[in-house]
Amino acid sequence: TAGVKKDIEKLYEAVPQLVNVFKIKEKIGEGTFSSVYLATAQLQTGYEEKMALKHLIPTSHPLRIAAELQCLTVAGGQDNVMGVKYCFRKNDHVVIVMPYLEHESFLDILSSLSFEEVREYMFNLFKALRRIHHFGIVHRDVKPSNFLYNRQLKRYALVDFGLAQGTPDTKIELLKTAYSEDQQGSCLQTNPIVALGNSVSVTSPKQIAQHSASKAADRRSSSLSKVQMKQGRGEKEDSVHHSVQRSVFGERNFNVYSSTYQENSSTKLIKQSKIIDVSSRKLITKKKIISTKTVSNGAARKAASGCPLNLLCDCYATDRVCSVCLSRRQQVAPRAGTPGFRAPEVLTKCPTQTTAIDMWSAGIIFLSLLSGRYPFFKASDDLTALAQIMTVRGSRETIQAARTFGKSVVCTQVVPTQNLRTLCEKLRGTNSSSKRSQGEGPSRSENNTALSVAADKPCAPETLGKQIQHLQSFQEGDGALEAKAADMKGWDQVPDEAYDLLDKLLDLNPATRITAKEALLHPFFKDIRL
Amino acid sequence: GKHVTAQKSKTGRLKSPFIRVEDRSRQYRPFYLQLLSFPFLNYCVPKPYSPFEVDKKYPGQKPTQSKERNKINSDKDCGMPAQFPQKDKKKRGYCECCGKKYEDLQTHLESERHRNFAQSTQYKVVDDIISKLAYEFVAYKDDETGKIKRTKCST
Repeated sequence: TAGVKKDIEKLYEAVPQLVNVFKIKEKIGEGTFSSVYLATAQLQTGYEEKMALKHLIPTSHPLRIAAELQCLTVAGGQDNVMGVKYCFRKNDHVVIVMPYLEHESFLDILSSLSFEEVREYMFNLFKALRRIHHFGIVHRDVKPSNFLYNRQLKRYALVDFGLAQGTPDTKIELLKTAYSEDQQGSCLQTNPIVALGNSVSVTSPKQIAQHSASKAADRRSSSLSKVQMKQGRGEKEDSVHHSVQRSVFGERNFNVYSSTYQENSSTKLIKQSKIIDVSSRKLITKKKIISTKTVSNGAARKAASGCPLNLLCDCYATDRVCSVCLSRRQQVAPRAGTPGFRAPEVLTKCPTQTTAIDMWSAGIIFLSLLSGRYPFFKASDDLTALAQIMTVRGSRETIQAARTFGKSVVCTQVVPTQNLRTLCEKLRGTNSSSKRSQGEGPSRSENNTALSVAADKPCAPETLGKQIQHLQSFQEGDGALEAKAADMKGWDQVPDEAYDLLDKLLDLNPATRITAKEALLHPFFKDIRL
Repeated sequence: GKHVTAQKSKTGRLKSPFIRVEDRSRQYRPFYLQLLSFPFLNYCVPKPYSPFEVDKKYPGQKPTQSKERNKINSDKDCGMPAQFPQKDKKKRGYCECCGKKYEDLQTHLESERHRNFAQSTQYKVVDDIISKLAYEFVAYKDDETGKIKRTKCST
């Protein structure tokens, strides 16, 4: 269309090196932080190949751009992790060139995948995750649209390191930078600021005691990335006190101690979910911010910080909140990603997040595949998402697990944990009751299912009828009973191992949650043919 | 925002049902959510929709569904994390380079501050990585790309 044509022209204009090298055909994706185009290029090998050109938003910090590139060059190009062909830059315009993998839409194929295809899909996802986790990359945004799948070719690619973070021991040098910048950002927000003439150092209360002023000044004078890498490594030892946090500058945390704050706090909970991606992009906070914004706020905060910070009240773990606890500073933890795929430790703002958050996301994908529902969770905010997780995994279990990572969760509702097989089969409409009775198609069993849950939550009979019709047309196609039996595609005999693996992926405790390496060795993948 | 009852009063008892989360260090502000109703697994929602498709009084409702479907579809095609942004030209956001929020992306990119950054040596870290990549493209013949680029200027 006209708009896309114009975008393509503008891209050629912004990065003229593309002009004779790529025929840009169309725009195939547009997100907050980038646009992706499909192009062809002539290679020295003599072949013309399809390429994906990712044009990053010019407001991206060079360190972030470099970190994404480094993920692609170091970890990518193998084991189902997207690699990079080349990268073009003119000023603030950066275009990453990647091989193009034609891929399916997850939603379109969800209902037609055979069980064996699901097994292969998960196996290949874990291969990609094992690879990036080996390099100490936390992807943070694992979901179907970031795991390209070509069903025919059986090819897979994990893409988009735009939100990635490094583990404390990451092998991606530039993620160390981002890692510590996170820390810095959070310090700016949550910790007192010490200003030293022109050079400003950001420190936690603990550090204030430890670091001499000269040392702090020293740090600032060296180059940004060096300082941050240094800090990043230092962080390892100190990680208990220091949360991996992100700056959320634009989101107004400055008036934490002002009287108007509490009024705002209500809308805040709701708003947060809409600015996730934006906030996640604020991890790089520069001198500029330090000198302009925080210093002015710093004074006020410093004055206040001594006192309300450590004030305890009787609200802890109760159904109450008071002016004392509400006046404390907000904890900031990374939460970049996509709502329905966030692990409980992300949703509850656990400051230390590991590669285990990607494994949770993989579990959510698996849950979608097994239940035939996408998206599985549908929540507009983090705590609603947590509530939905509780309805699947149990409230008591969720609360218990949260305690292990330092969170007190109070929930008025007591909901039991679901049997994963029963849950998935009911949602998919392949109840064990139906699989034994040959003549009865899935529609019939869905009917039973629907009626049986009607006790839980009544559905209007007419609506129910319509739904069943809908389901019939959806699932049966031509309606031949014979075809239906063949259509089960292995779904009539999902092994226990599948649900055992799902259980281990959706482990509420990140410390015990299965790793990618372990998942590949899980009995579910025994004898996988690839 | 739907089922979320915003916390009107600053203090006091939370209205059930709610979820309240607080760091066990008790150093941070607790956060909580009061819900009109606690989510439940609704098996009546037709496939492939989420069993938490709460807002619809009856999940079979057509208008909401098709709307939802569109949303999902728009998300899927692109390998991108984010949703399609609003079509409007004024794109608000945050510039990491300048450490600054902006109301209109284009205006910000053209600002002196940003242009200075764009032309600075800050991008060396990117160029260093680029310099290690193998360039394996061959230029298309000029007239071919010319046709695409400058349709009006055919000789």
